[in-house]
Amino acid sequence: MSNRRSRQPSSGSSRISDDKIIELVSKLQQFLPEIQTRCSGKASASKVLQETCNYIRSLNREVNDLSDRLSQLLSTIDTDSPEAAIIRSLMM
Amino acid sequence: MRNPSSLKQEFLKKWIKGLQICSATKKKMSIMERRKAIKVSADIAMASTRKSTTYWSHALMANASKDDTNKIIIENILGNDDDNSKRIIFKKASMGISMSQKRIVRSKKIVRNSCKISRRARKISPSTIAKKLVKKRTQVLKSLVPGGEYMDDASLIKETLDYIISLRVQVDVMRHLANNASHEINDPKTSS
Repeated sequence: MSNRRSRQPSSGSSRISDDKIIELVSKLQQFLPEIQTRCSGKASASKVLQETCNYIRSLNREVNDLSDRLSQLLSTIDTDSPEAAIIRSLMM
Repeated sequence: MRNPSSLKQEFLKKWIKGLQICSATKKKMSIMERRKAIKVSADIAMASTRKSTTYWSHALMANASKDDTNKIIIENILGNDDDNSKRIIFKKASMGISMSQKRIVRSKKIVRNSCKISRRARKISPSTIAKKLVKKRTQVLKSLVPGGEYMDDASLIKETLDYIISLRVQVDVMRHLANNASHEINDPKTSS
């Protein structure tokens, strides 16, 4: 996967086509049951995109919150500290 | 489709490795530095589970490698893998700016041309509005997925799905760890 330089003019591929939307919706529903599509047949492209963007934003926010929590829980990320030993034992 | 629990294990291993490197390079950290180290190691670990197979993971690591400490983490985590991918990632980091400038010039020309067309036929139909909305939302999505601005729409969708799956793995592992760690530290079981 080296340099990808698409030769298509961006105006040609500036819209996502309808069957791509259907593909996206079905895949999203497979993996992410949390995304609500009221009438799955009529899920509009913009709605799906909006839900996807919101979901990514919420996941990013959660990662940030978890990093905050973890940085408070671990007074040091030195892997020799006693807390790290506890954590290691939890993960085994 | 990769097994999610094997993904989680790989992420966890690489994340711990990244944390070890961080603590080796800097013994005493403030809480802000620690938080940043945790997040950055987690992001790099998440991206490296995909190695070179997806564009977003490449873009994420290229962005991270602009910082020197992160470079060390990336080199270590990718250590056993082929040197080609490392070289491409570090090269992309330096190339990133010039690519975006070319894109801006090209898209300005297209916007100018399309404005001329729309002035002639000013029909605001619901389908035009819908198209504009889709375009707007696609732009937002491109800004959220690392490296998204350089992708065409078809690959954007594929990359988005993969990115979401990896983000979920990251969140699951971190949440599991945070919950269990807080339980343990608050009421420790005297077993070991």
